[in-house]
Amino acid sequence: MNNMWILNMGFVALLIGVGLYCLLTMRNAVKLLIGIEVIAKGVTLALVAGGFARNSLMLAQCLVITVIVVDVAVIATALALIININRHTKSLDVRKLTKLKG
Amino acid sequence: MLHLSLLIGLVAFSILAVLIRDLLKSAISLAVASVFLAVLFFEMNAVYAGVFEVSVVAGLITVLFITAIALTRGDGDVVESRRHLAVFPLFFLALAVIDILVMKRLLGRIPAMVNPESGTFADVLWNQRTFDLVGQIGAIFAGVLAVLALFRRGEKDAGHESPRGDAPLAGGQPPAGDAALMGRQPHTGDAALMGRQPQGGSHE
Amino acid sequence: MIFLFIIVPLVMASLLPLVGKISKRFLPDLLANATMLFLLVYAVVSARPLVAGGGVVQQAFWFGAPLNIRLLLDGFSLFMLFTISLVSFTVTLYSIDYMEHYGAKADYYALLLLMIAGMNGLVLASDLFNIYIFLEVAAIASYALVAFGRGHDELEASFKYLMLSAVASAFILLSIAIIFALTGGVSFGTVAHGLETLNVRFVVGFCSALFLMGFGLKAALVPFHSWLPDAHPSAPAPISAMLSGVLIKVSGVYAMMRVFLNVFGLTPALTTILSILGIASIFVGALAALGQNDIKRMLAYSSISQIGYVVLGFAIGTPLGILGGLFHLFNHALFKSLLFLNAGAIERSTGTRSLDKMGGLAKVMPVTAGTSAVGSLSIAGVPPLNGFWSKLLIIIALVQAKMVALAVLAVLGSVVTLWYYLVLQHQAFFGKLNESWKAVKEAPFWMSASTILLALLCIAVGLAFPVVIHSWLQPAADILGKGVGVAMSFIGF
Repeated sequence: MNNMWILNMGFVALLIGVGLYCLLTMRNAVKLLIGIEVIAKGVTLALVAGGFARNSLMLAQCLVITVIVVDVAVIATALALIININRHTKSLDVRKLTKLKG
Repeated sequence: MLHLSLLIGLVAFSILAVLIRDLLKSAISLAVASVFLAVLFFEMNAVYAGVFEVSVVAGLITVLFITAIALTRGDGDVVESRRHLAVFPLFFLALAVIDILVMKRLLGRIPAMVNPESGTFADVLWNQRTFDLVGQIGAIFAGVLAVLALFRRGEKDAGHESPRGDAPLAGGQPPAGDAALMGRQPHTGDAALMGRQPQGGSHE
Repeated sequence: MIFLFIIVPLVMASLLPLVGKISKRFLPDLLANATMLFLLVYAVVSARPLVAGGGVVQQAFWFGAPLNIRLLLDGFSLFMLFTISLVSFTVTLYSIDYMEHYGAKADYYALLLLMIAGMNGLVLASDLFNIYIFLEVAAIASYALVAFGRGHDELEASFKYLMLSAVASAFILLSIAIIFALTGGVSFGTVAHGLETLNVRFVVGFCSALFLMGFGLKAALVPFHSWLPDAHPSAPAPISAMLSGVLIKVSGVYAMMRVFLNVFGLTPALTTILSILGIASIFVGALAALGQNDIKRMLAYSSISQIGYVVLGFAIGTPLGILGGLFHLFNHALFKSLLFLNAGAIERSTGTRSLDKMGGLAKVMPVTAGTSAVGSLSIAGVPPLNGFWSKLLIIIALVQAKMVALAVLAVLGSVVTLWYYLVLQHQAFFGKLNESWKAVKEAPFWMSASTILLALLCIAVGLAFPVVIHSWLQPAADILGKGVGVAMSFIGF
């Protein structure tokens, strides 16, 4: 049972790594959000994997549902910000967001 | 093994979502990865999580992404460079190697402990995790209010742009001047924006 | 009933947008301020007797039927509740005048109330996962509030803040997931018991590192501080005060300390790491603040520096250190809010945040200058104002714990703090009155009232500090000092 948990967590680590790569190197603002989504997938998988290993799936699912709801709210806010930024700078390039420095 | 292949599928489509340069295809790839994750949840007996994952993440969030992509399309699309296709495999290989090494070390070191059976899902959700539900309500309110506040119809604040016009900026003056100009004509701000685009429809 | 702390702001936040359709200014102002006043009074009056006997766990009721929500209220939580209510009340008073120019006051108050509901929920949580959720609620509200004016700078700052904060939340959640798998539960009691009998120090260390990164970013601890100097200046002044004054403390320092001191237990490794990060924050913040021209950016770097003091105090782990950390947390909430609100008043009146362009404002804005002077002297640690006592406690605790080198560095940091605040006061208020500011008026009534209130509190707390320590801080310090025992006693959940 626990080797299964370790296998799952191994893939969680891969997912989070991929998400972090996206956040660190991509220039398009919407792509950055996709990176955050990938990380969120990794974390929900970690939660369910933990529940599976400990036979407390009901608790794990409650946690996962809450996490997904919160994630939707964050993504909605972020997209609202991006659309507003797009109105100002006419592009989605995060390299253009460098006015605040120093 | 089904479990392993689902995991591999999930990671593969997530990688595709990150690497594909067209935003729309990237969002669709993310949705497919969500479906893989949902099937994975079903396979692990977490049916409620699977249903939620499919309906909310593969459904609602994908729709949000596609809406945002459509609303911001056409004005200077940013396309990622091709060097990612070369850099990423190296990165992923290094990550996978470290991952396997660490996991191998942990094999068998984690003690197995199984919880006693808890109640049904409804019981756990409504009775044990009631505080979470209050939190969820708060999060939903926060999201709704945030979106409402950010999209409210209103004058661009005339009195607010000028302080930033004076505050020191490292990015050079012209962008600040533009913003200050747009700010000082409060009621024409939005109209000016729409006027500058021949296809003004994409903004509404 | 302590559930009111969360429900009242939540319900009010849901009603305000509807009220806002009827009355644009008067009713939202009235309702928001009334709510804050109620929370403040409630925190002072009814919660004190509850806490007298150590922690209390209360079951919430909804119109008579018992809900399965058990809220934890002990000295530490009550202390934070009081701090949050106090700062929120003054900020809401201030907003009556300041937010006139932004429009949509009802939405603003609704978001502010949600942020407060989230912070209150975090403070009252008895469960790791509840901490995460209410952290997120407060964070989402703060993203929208930072970007409230929808100008380019604000949107950019809010976006960067959102990205970094979302990663931090993901790390925190990952750590919770791993702990859940290791110990089978997420409530404090289950986790504490589970960790006691476990023998996988590597994984627990990894979880601690994840918590450190996640909560450290929320607290703007070096090296996770880069979002703060952008987010705090761009936000509207009352929101800067809320963020710097309470949010980074509640979602960063409180959560970190609650988890590390009461659930994990403070190990020597943690002490070392936190002390190093604390000292680094003190210096990075102080040195960066020296070179700033934008007044709010200078204040933001100063926040990073002062949070370094707070974390240092907690990291020492001795009762005196914890006491010093708590006291400095409270004091910083008071004087940093005061300074940010004043910076907002200056910005509102003169239209600039640039210190170069200011000068001699004391002649035209005497109230602002006076309260700002009180705030600057307090934060720089001048006796007998409150900042002096809290820094003294931390430094004495450092010496007692044989970390003399750190104590010397902390004193040095304090000297630098004094220096840049004197620069701020001189450049902004004293000296020759810049011609362009001849016609500037003093800040409007509510803005001045809130800053005067905060300044008086700074003086009062400074003069009466033994009383403050005995009645408010000691119970909180005791709870933290008991360490993991506190979590163990909640095994009933």
